[in-house]
Amino acid sequence: MTSFTHYIVQRLLAALITLIGISFIVFLLVRLLPGDPARVIAGLLASEDDVARIRTWMGLDRPLPVQYATFFGRMVRGDLGISARTKEPVLREIMTRLPATVKLATISMAIAGLLGVLGGVFAAYRRNSILDFLISVSTLFGISMPVYWLGLMLIVLFAVRLHWLPAAGSEHPTSYILPSFTLAAFSIALVARMTRSSMLEVLGDDYVRTARAKGLRESTVVLRHALRNALIPVVTVIGLQFGALLGGAVLTETVFGWPGMGQLLVDSIFARDYPMVQGIVLVFAVMLITVNLIVDILYAYIDPRIRYG
Amino acid sequence: MNRWFIRPHRRHSISMTYVALAGLLISLMLLAACAPAPAAAPSKPSAQKEAKATPAPAAKAETFRIAVGIDPDTLDPALSTTTTVSNIIEYMVETLVVTDKDGNVQPKLATSWEVSDDGLEYTLHLRKGVTFHDGTPMNAEAVKWNLDRMLDPKVKMPMRSTFAAIKKVEAVDEYTIKIYLSQPFAPLISSLSLENAGIISPKSVNMEGNSYESVTRPVGTGPYIFEERVKGERIEITRNPNYWGEKPYYDKVVFRVVPEAATRESLLLAGQVDLIILPPISDLPALQKNSDVKVLLAPSDRTIFIAINTLHKPLDDVRVRQALNYAVDKQEIIKGVLFGAAEPLDAPMAPNLFGYCKLQPYEYNPDKAKALLAEAGVKDLQLNFIAPTGRYVQDFQAAQAISNYLNEIGIKAPVSTMDWPSYVAAIMTPPDKNTIDLHFLGWAPDYLDAAQQMMQFYSPESPPNGLETSFYKNPKVDELIEAAGKETNPDKRKDLYCQASRLIWEDAPWIFLWVQRFPIVYRANIAGVDYHPTEKFSAIYAHPAE
Repeated sequence: MTSFTHYIVQRLLAALITLIGISFIVFLLVRLLPGDPARVIAGLLASEDDVARIRTWMGLDRPLPVQYATFFGRMVRGDLGISARTKEPVLREIMTRLPATVKLATISMAIAGLLGVLGGVFAAYRRNSILDFLISVSTLFGISMPVYWLGLMLIVLFAVRLHWLPAAGSEHPTSYILPSFTLAAFSIALVARMTRSSMLEVLGDDYVRTARAKGLRESTVVLRHALRNALIPVVTVIGLQFGALLGGAVLTETVFGWPGMGQLLVDSIFARDYPMVQGIVLVFAVMLITVNLIVDILYAYIDPRIRYG
Repeated sequence: MNRWFIRPHRRHSISMTYVALAGLLISLMLLAACAPAPAAAPSKPSAQKEAKATPAPAAKAETFRIAVGIDPDTLDPALSTTTTVSNIIEYMVETLVVTDKDGNVQPKLATSWEVSDDGLEYTLHLRKGVTFHDGTPMNAEAVKWNLDRMLDPKVKMPMRSTFAAIKKVEAVDEYTIKIYLSQPFAPLISSLSLENAGIISPKSVNMEGNSYESVTRPVGTGPYIFEERVKGERIEITRNPNYWGEKPYYDKVVFRVVPEAATRESLLLAGQVDLIILPPISDLPALQKNSDVKVLLAPSDRTIFIAINTLHKPLDDVRVRQALNYAVDKQEIIKGVLFGAAEPLDAPMAPNLFGYCKLQPYEYNPDKAKALLAEAGVKDLQLNFIAPTGRYVQDFQAAQAISNYLNEIGIKAPVSTMDWPSYVAAIMTPPDKNTIDLHFLGWAPDYLDAAQQMMQFYSPESPPNGLETSFYKNPKVDELIEAAGKETNPDKRKDLYCQASRLIWEDAPWIFLWVQRFPIVYRANIAGVDYHPTEKFSAIYAHPAE
């Protein structure tokens, strides 16, 4: 086994243990929330008989360890149970919602990576210029603006005032524009600031001076020599931002009526739909772990000095 | 090989994963604690192509687009528990009877009915020549199958107890059914107007996506046929060319799911949908001034009140409870906080319920309130007051205003709030552990009959058995409610409810607040939009305005 495959296997094992831990924590957490799921599902007008019946359907009348064992046993077989709210299999519900969230998060991540790195490089290269100032101010905005507010403002401007873009939904290609920029705003700003400071550090390094002294073209110096080194911390941030994007998707999807997992998670939490909340958190966790693994592998590509043993 | 072991780096990234995961779990908890409750069920119309700037986009389109606030948990009539979901299902699935705006029962799939003298046998005559969307006939066998399904424990119907009195259903002939009850249940016919008792094609449970236990593609007899659903986004239905009744104007209706009220409003203002429910309430005045849209503040049957824990001292004293009622200026709160979206209560139920009779409202009279408190010997009273946020129109804001009014008569009752499931758990706490003195609540019967309203004053329904969360107990009221539940003579029944209402009004187990209005907003170029008092829009027969 090469050291790299060894490393991957090790990481996968760690991921598995993490997932088991998460399954336990999320199982407990949802049950620690106050509120009776059966009553929430039945509604206020339902009689106590109805509520008791629903409790039995959901298996909530059994002791907690038994409930966890059932949940875990099913999970191992890839069965996340039946949603208490929709009466449909949890996995099927998640799979129909997953693509919309992944598309939104991926597009947002791409926008954040592209615009953030571009803005950061420009700001660093033209340090203390008007451009640098403008970029710094707008990143400050991007970091401090609440997603909810930004989304609504974009809707008012582009849908209500200008009639250019749809305010909600996902069926038209133009439907992606507002939600993905809303979701990306924070990450664009964060990546731009990271890139700028990281670039500034690198641009002052000896090897950059050496590269310039060798008479290399300025673009080669900046993009090949400086940027590549400056990107290492930035890639970490972009990777971690994916987690933030999944979290942000909860709000963005609610504002834009986006048919993804974020909206499903909100609906399920309010319905105290234990199986669905457990399922969604597990799927989010799997995605997060995967993205982090990819980020680690990317390091090696960006910085050939990094090897895994 | 030039092998670099950069362990710290790797460990670093793993711990970052944990940090991120912990963040995810924490945000989950926070979300549960603070996120706003979703508004009523949303639906989203498609047709984004028409999003262009024309001021009145719907008129030329043959699609009618509606935005609602919740993503339906189910489209199975038997399994549904929320009004907006019923509102969508009723485009496709019809019931045996319907209630009109005033609570009178009207024929639908049943044309007439008779009740036996003992109130235990109901005979219903069905409409002839009606077929389901799949071409199968709607007849006594089909209706019996549906009612049997509702009662079948295999079908996890949340609201089954409404129909608990039904013992047996029999198909007498092709178009006659008989329903046998185990005990008299006077509102039976009214309860059959619930979308829960919607009649679907028995054959349709074998369709792809459907099962006997759960139907995702409802096949009924209604004016529209289910076409497509994208969960969390939209439901599309098309006009039924073979509909037995008056055919609607629009070829297609799209329900768009938009949980955020401000986004629903934007969709309407941008002309991307034709009708929305529940816009942001603070925008009502602006919408009313906007000539592009029309605002319908529909009367509803939802009473809004503050339940008083009648077991806690000194709230067990009727004078104190009456004082609370005199202390609050309801008119002023309706005007200033609810933007006119309510009517003050003048009975312990909404005026559109069968069994309502008008009583003398508690006027705003702080002096009288203070006098009553003094008479009861109450001084320096502090009360534990809770209200939900975002569940009812301006609930928390109204509760804060009420808290100020109570302060003016010397009662300290600061309001606190919590998310809905926690709230329900708190108010349903049994008396020995219940520390809440006042809680803000809304109550809306599913069908326009006092029977479900009176559960709020019937002492056997107090927690943990039910949601009579004021723990109010007046044996005379309990007796009257029981008698009314069995009485089949409508006039006598109404009188029993009237008598009970008078006693309840006097005993004041609630701070009687208002009947909430249900805001429906639609494009001004649309006509034929109406409402049903169970917080529903009725837009099946919407059409372009001339």
